[in-house]
Amino acid sequence: MFKKFFTVNCFVILLAALFIFTIRSAAMAAGLFGPLQTVSKETGGLNTAIGYFYHEDTYKNGVDHTVRLNEIYSQAAYGAKNIWEVYARAGLADMKIFDIFSSTDAFIMTDRDNFEANWEFFGTIGAKAFYPINSIWGIGAFIQGTYYFSDFTDTVSGTKGETPFTTELKVKDFWNVNFGIGVQAALPYGIKFYAGPYIYYSGANVSMHSYISVPEYYLDDDTIRNKSIVGGFTGLDIPLTKGFRLNIEGQFADRVSAGAAISYTY
Amino acid sequence: MIMNRRFFLLLILLSVFFVAGVADSSPSDFVVASPTASSPQPVLLTDASNAEAVSPPAGNPADADTDDYKDDEYNDSADDVAREERAEIADPLEPVNRAMHQFNDKLYFWALKPVAQGYKFMIPEPARISVKNFFSNLAFPARFLSCLLQADINGAATEAGRFTINTIWGIGGLLDPSSGKELNLQTQDTDLGQTLGVWGVGQGFYIVWPVFGPSSPRDSVTIAGNYFLYPVSYISPWYAGVGVGIFEEINATSLRIGDYEALKEAAIDPYVAFRDAYAQYRFKKIKARKAKINPSAPAEEKSPSDNSALPKKEE
Repeated sequence: MFKKFFTVNCFVILLAALFIFTIRSAAMAAGLFGPLQTVSKETGGLNTAIGYFYHEDTYKNGVDHTVRLNEIYSQAAYGAKNIWEVYARAGLADMKIFDIFSSTDAFIMTDRDNFEANWEFFGTIGAKAFYPINSIWGIGAFIQGTYYFSDFTDTVSGTKGETPFTTELKVKDFWNVNFGIGVQAALPYGIKFYAGPYIYYSGANVSMHSYISVPEYYLDDDTIRNKSIVGGFTGLDIPLTKGFRLNIEGQFADRVSAGAAISYTY
Repeated sequence: MIMNRRFFLLLILLSVFFVAGVADSSPSDFVVASPTASSPQPVLLTDASNAEAVSPPAGNPADADTDDYKDDEYNDSADDVAREERAEIADPLEPVNRAMHQFNDKLYFWALKPVAQGYKFMIPEPARISVKNFFSNLAFPARFLSCLLQADINGAATEAGRFTINTIWGIGGLLDPSSGKELNLQTQDTDLGQTLGVWGVGQGFYIVWPVFGPSSPRDSVTIAGNYFLYPVSYISPWYAGVGVGIFEEINATSLRIGDYEALKEAAIDPYVAFRDAYAQYRFKKIKARKAKINPSAPAEEKSPSDNSALPKKEE
């Protein structure tokens, strides 16, 4: 009995090593930063937006994995004097971590390789400030933080040798903070071009819950944090019609991410 | 289940009233009474409502339902053709209606107003307006369907556009960017009762519903229609939906405290004043809808004052 329990524990620890500790250095999710200068009226006013952001990143810990998130969100912002803005977002995001369930151990077989979690809620708050140098150029900075209110959860089944197992992996309390600076140029037709570097920091608690043929076993939460990672961003803010604007933006860290938002200025 | 049965009975009741009401309606619901005509307490149209009696400017009939101020201006410049008229509505249920009016009056002064005042004290006006916008946005299906049933495709498209824009960029309807200067998509102020009115259904007699207030068999369709077309009605459990409805009413009342009191103070017999005001209000709405839907119709739409069957007004 003791031997079997010991074997199972070793097995679970092995799974944990495979499923948890390999994502220790994950670098995930940022979201659109938007133009450095607020699009609100100079006298002060609201602007609202809906947006979509496709985020991809890779992490390394012996083996490369790719993380992908799709985010859709609604944003409300208040800005004034063309120099400052605060904003808040609420949205939904899904998560996919490629090959997280695949094993290099030939004795471990899983029914699939990828961690996939459905749409979960998240919220973002941010602030930005802008300093116009002249009528064309300006510099700005922003800070933005995101918290995912719901857990990203997925379950994988498989066998090790002839022992079946089911493992539930949860990414909990996922958050990230981004800080960036950049320059912005006013182009013809009211188009704004902006670009700059940013740093981001994220963390989450990850837990694994395994169901094996013997008593249930679970590991305590493990905290994952990524090292501060520098990326770059660039985008365009294009006036459409009747107060609407289109914002498209790309970000590059380990991989390229991109998104778009349509805003309305009150 | 109980709620379904209750509203099924309500529908039957409304149907009975509706049939009775339409049967009761005269060829022209809104009759013009001469100043000498006997009436418990004639309430003459004010300038604003008088404008409704005069056909709108031929070049701009579509604005008739949305721009009261323009109506006022137009009316000022057309004093020479303005005629005093009032819309009357039959009131065979007057004793019951008066009791219901009293009930609603007490409900307002004893319960709704004090709560609304407290709510108004605590919640700033912009937040209350946002709440009102939110519920107005939720009421989109009834307005949209009414526009479609009136063959007002432009109105239906406007409502669909408003709903989309306000839901997406108005943070779920809390804000109303559609009404802004740039988009200028105004709420289509219509309902199923007006739809029946546009179709030519008479309003019948006057009914004062407890809680819901002044109505008629025709306009009671609005109450039933709003139940089925209003998402709040489908909140489960049912008392949660009722709670949301009460909150909506408190919020709406907080934005118009004083209006009811002013009209009541100005009237010798508030019951009659509200009855006539209701009849004129609905007449105005339906006439405006007809003018919008069919701008090519003769500008001098059959006015109550043109009813040859009635005694001519003394000049």
